[in-house]
Amino acid sequence: MKTRFAMMAALLAAALLFAAMAGHDWASPRRLLQALSGAADMESRLLLVWRLPRVVASALVGALLGLGGAIFQGVFRNPLAEPYLLGASGGAAIGATIALLVPLGLPGGPVLAALSFAGAWGATWLVLAVSGLHGRPDTAGLLLAGVAVAAMLGALRSFLMLALSDDTVNLQVVLSWTLGGIQTPDVIGLLLLAAFVGAGLALALWLAHGLDLLGLGDEQAFAFGLDPARFARRAVLVGAAIVAAAVAFGGLVAFVGLIAPHLARWWIGPRHRALMPSSALIGAALVAVCDGIARAVLPPAEIPLGLVTALIGGPFFLLLLARRLKT
Amino acid sequence: MTRIECRDLGARAGGAILLDDVSLVFEAPALIGILGPNGAGKSTLLRCLAGYRRPDRGEVRWAGRPLSSWTAAERGAACGYCPQQFEPAWDYSVAEIVALGHDRSPAGTPIVDRTLQEYGVEALSKRRWSQLSGGERARTMLAATLATKPPLVLADEPGAALDMHHRLALLQRLKIYSGSALVILVMHDLDLALRFCDRLVLLDHGKVAADKTPAAMVDEPGFAAAFRLRLQTEPRRADFDWVIGIG
Repeated sequence: MKTRFAMMAALLAAALLFAAMAGHDWASPRRLLQALSGAADMESRLLLVWRLPRVVASALVGALLGLGGAIFQGVFRNPLAEPYLLGASGGAAIGATIALLVPLGLPGGPVLAALSFAGAWGATWLVLAVSGLHGRPDTAGLLLAGVAVAAMLGALRSFLMLALSDDTVNLQVVLSWTLGGIQTPDVIGLLLLAAFVGAGLALALWLAHGLDLLGLGDEQAFAFGLDPARFARRAVLVGAAIVAAAVAFGGLVAFVGLIAPHLARWWIGPRHRALMPSSALIGAALVAVCDGIARAVLPPAEIPLGLVTALIGGPFFLLLLARRLKT
Repeated sequence: MTRIECRDLGARAGGAILLDDVSLVFEAPALIGILGPNGAGKSTLLRCLAGYRRPDRGEVRWAGRPLSSWTAAERGAACGYCPQQFEPAWDYSVAEIVALGHDRSPAGTPIVDRTLQEYGVEALSKRRWSQLSGGERARTMLAATLATKPPLVLADEPGAALDMHHRLALLQRLKIYSGSALVILVMHDLDLALRFCDRLVLLDHGKVAADKTPAAMVDEPGFAAAFRLRLQTEPRRADFDWVIGIG
């Protein structure tokens, strides 16, 4: 187990290195070292102030997506459950859209956080209610409910954007958000994001044993001393908070929440205590690399992060779906 | 816990009556078999006794306390409940499932390895659920259920997936276990029920049709009638394991 975690950490380090090198101008590892040691030339300053914080932010957003995906899969007891596919991310985006476009006369940050959370939570409950909270919802029902909710929320978001935009700058921000994208955060933003990841990991580990039991099925989980309905409510709350944080910082990023827990489960087994940190590590590596690609592939333009993850994650998802439908 | 009881238990699903006015008292130590034809309400009764299903009427008490006042953790520690169906969402290993059963124990941590050994599944410990046969799965679940040595065991057809040898071994094990515990089984094997149980409860159409010792149950006219069978009973010779009807 320890060597596997060490390998994962090494993978993340390699991913961070690649992400730090990638961009409009490729930077050699030596250049990066110079920048880190505080060289005063222009390129070093740019790397230190713009690229490196963004690489760290992308990894942190990836960690949140990995955690959120692992919790969603655990609650829905389905390896194809994912916050993006099930509309939770879309719900968070609606909250964020309202916070950005409606002048509420309240401090922006907390309102955005609260509305994103409310949106993610509400959307998740809608999917749960439709697909059946008790017992294990079947894959087709779950995905269809999720797709319907996600489509509905997407339409609602577009409507809100059209109806409320008198400020084109804000509209631009929302639009880039919906495609998924990480901005270079300031120091406070970065610390806040890191704090969210720390809290998210702690909460995810707190849920780990209950998720293990829930994976045995409602009745067996009950037999082993869990109140399945009550626990699921708690887990959905935590999952929605983590998804909302990921969406607030990274926009709508598809499929990372699906791939990261999957790879982690292959690598480390189904027990959630080990699955949570490994899913976070893999998610971090994945988003760091995808964000690097997004910056480097069409210089000087930057393509949206969500586009890269969807192009990589879509085929992965279809492959899993095909395998699952076959059995 | 020495005693569980249910009073005026009623349960329905849609328009169908699953349980109708069932009142029973069970006291340890005993091995009790719940018998009945399909749809008689056996699994519903066991679910109500375990607390997984809330009855529509009446109440269940464990050790004199209403079941609704027990917390999930207290209940898990006191009772080994083995539902009829078990289909995990993730491909856990045998050792992982048994460890999850262990974790509900409040005091002290029993050793998982010892439980694996005791139930003869240690050779399987690293095998994953998808790689197990039906019998291996049943043995794994029994080990996980009994891992904490609960004073109350409720199991719904624990031998359903087992061959005759393992079914017999299972009943022998539960018989010994019931020497210091209350074990209640839903059973379809009438011969094993008559042979091992201390007391048999016959359900039919959601009602208790008979509640007797095995010796008295054989002569009960409602017994064969409930199953719509004409039964021939032969004594088993002591040096044989099973009597099989031929022809």
